[in-house]
Amino acid sequence: MKRILAATAATLMAASLTACGGDDGGGSDGRTTVVFSYWGSDARQQLTETAISKFEEKNPTIDVEGDFSDWDSYYEKLATKTAAGDAPDVMSIEIRGLAEYSGRGILADLAGKVDTAKLDQDVLKAGQVDGRQFAIPTGVNAFPMIVNKATVEKAGKKVPDDKAWTWDDYIALAQSITTETDGEVWGTEWNRNPAFLEIFARQRGEEFYKDGKIGLSEQTIKDWWALLQKISATKAGPDAAQMNETGTKVDQALLATNKSAFGSWWSNQLTALSKGSGQELDLLRMPKAPGAATGGMFLQPAMYYTLSAKSENAEAAQKFVDFLVNDPDAAAILLSDRGLPTNSEVVAAVKDKLSPADQKVLAFIESVRSELSTAAVPPKGAMEMEDVLIRATDSVLFDKASPDDAAKTFISEANSALSQ
Amino acid sequence: MTLSPLTARKAEAPVTLPEKAGASRPGRRRSSHSRSQARAAYLFLAPWFIGLLAITLGPMIASLYLSFTDYSMLSEAHWVGLDNYEKMFTEDDRFLTSLKVTTVYVVVSVPLQLAFALALALVLDRGLRGLPFYRSVFYLPSLLGGSVAISILWRKIFGTDGIVNSVLGLFGYEGQGWVTSPDTALWTLIILHVWTFGAPMVIFLAGLRQIPQSLYEAASVDGAGPLRKFRSITLPLLTPIIFFNLVLEVIKSFQSFTQSFIVSGGNGGPVDSTLFYTLYLYIKGFKNYEMGYAAGMAWVLLLIIGALTAVNFLMSRFWVFYGDDDK
Repeated sequence: MKRILAATAATLMAASLTACGGDDGGGSDGRTTVVFSYWGSDARQQLTETAISKFEEKNPTIDVEGDFSDWDSYYEKLATKTAAGDAPDVMSIEIRGLAEYSGRGILADLAGKVDTAKLDQDVLKAGQVDGRQFAIPTGVNAFPMIVNKATVEKAGKKVPDDKAWTWDDYIALAQSITTETDGEVWGTEWNRNPAFLEIFARQRGEEFYKDGKIGLSEQTIKDWWALLQKISATKAGPDAAQMNETGTKVDQALLATNKSAFGSWWSNQLTALSKGSGQELDLLRMPKAPGAATGGMFLQPAMYYTLSAKSENAEAAQKFVDFLVNDPDAAAILLSDRGLPTNSEVVAAVKDKLSPADQKVLAFIESVRSELSTAAVPPKGAMEMEDVLIRATDSVLFDKASPDDAAKTFISEANSALSQ
Repeated sequence: MTLSPLTARKAEAPVTLPEKAGASRPGRRRSSHSRSQARAAYLFLAPWFIGLLAITLGPMIASLYLSFTDYSMLSEAHWVGLDNYEKMFTEDDRFLTSLKVTTVYVVVSVPLQLAFALALALVLDRGLRGLPFYRSVFYLPSLLGGSVAISILWRKIFGTDGIVNSVLGLFGYEGQGWVTSPDTALWTLIILHVWTFGAPMVIFLAGLRQIPQSLYEAASVDGAGPLRKFRSITLPLLTPIIFFNLVLEVIKSFQSFTQSFIVSGGNGGPVDSTLFYTLYLYIKGFKNYEMGYAAGMAWVLLLIIGALTAVNFLMSRFWVFYGDDDK
């Protein structure tokens, strides 16, 4: 414990020391330094550094300093820096953290500061909190069903018509694939991603969040758990312990290792999945509840660019964000790494450079665009939601609680996280 | 494994610690020898003390203050009095879960680990050839046990496709994902802890060397067998060392963090079955932005460990034998 204290304090002290070290911006030689924080893989870091060089080449008086960390420690680091008054000028944030950061006066209102005219206006709204544009989406994602057609066909089955298939069709098909291959390949992998539950709930006309609270009914949550239980009980997919192992790491996905025919992932993960699998993967609409009025799928910003309200180099920082979202040169480097760009001009310019997997994503999203709604920014406290959901879900899947109790626990824990 | 470099440093000290059983005490007059020993002790303590003053003390006081606030890292701290402490014991089920999980972990793994360490020390003490080599080999897990690499390795060993299940498969038993099932996850961490028996083992070895050979010889003359010798000579004379190891390991294992952080993927799962106290503290502070609450938890932990250590010392009167009972 002492070490936690010490580490916290040391980080705080170190951070405030750097803050005292003072003004990195606006040196005497007329140069400005913009600090840009982001998370991700090594591949993303390389792309980002290349894009930064390109920007510096176009803007010789501005230096951009990339502040990179992996996802697991990203928010910890960002919060520590913010606490020390040393928030980066440009911060990457994802949708669950947006309300947290904008609500505490850390982010600048970007209205009129970054040119957003050519961005998808619907998606742009997902960067607004209380009507103010605190964040610019970097690109979009959908949460589709991904299928390995070759595996399905090898099991002697046909890929279904995704406009008509139901959850039962999906489970029955997956089950028969497991059986036909003697368990060598699972029909489907599955997950406890809130996005999955959200799609499931929207098909019943419910929203995940409503008026700053959980909008899901107990029945819907229980039915969703019953669906997951059915998948593992029928051997359509692995049991909970095994799915826990795969976790959320895309390189360990059963689709990426060709051990399953179906699975749901964010659309910008298709490239990584295809690379791991070496086979062709395709995107489908999610299955539907019978008679559902909507497929429930939605477009969500993969992440956002935001500006610190306290930035001393706001102008240069704005220029940098403008470059990232509007300049085809930037897009030609970053491609779909931060989700598919929503700037129509940019998309047209880089379309041919996209990987085959990304072209599939682009075609898929274009073809279903009219059916997709846009994600709303979840309330403050949403960052905890995934953990709360996983805990409640596991307690049901591992028989530690009855679905009735677990649904009640989930709603009360989730609402208490949101009210903090 | 431990969160504290301080306890790790302390663990190296015991080489000088065991008092020679039966050795006569120096007289009442302090000899120059004992004065220079005291000076040496203070010198050895100095780096720790300087570190405490220069690095740890300020933040500790700050954290005490923060524990009475609603500090979130992202916004200003507001005084809330005892609210954080009250919440821990009245509203926060996960806090109690984390206490329970940590207690089970300490109560099960520490005695097992010490028994294991003592058993191996006894074997190694029989004048094995190549003793330094074996000693180093057995010590290795202690150095590695708390590392991220080992925690990841553990995930693999006890995974669905891991070594454990492969071996079980040979016997026709179909295994499961041990680290990802709530009923078994904590036990894999307990095994990991027992596996790091090296540090107490080395201390036990040093302790065994201090027991005068003459006692064993006398016992042999009286016709005592190995078991009797162990029970009547080794064990009683070793109690100070056992006590020392016990205190250290209880403190250390109560602060375990890395294993559950890595093995559970940072959330203490599945279903909070590996939610160590320090992990929950970390989640509260850095993930849920309740730094004031986390600071309060840190102080409660300090009190718990302090109380446990005090109880340990009190209990020691009844079973630790220092060989110089002149009190």
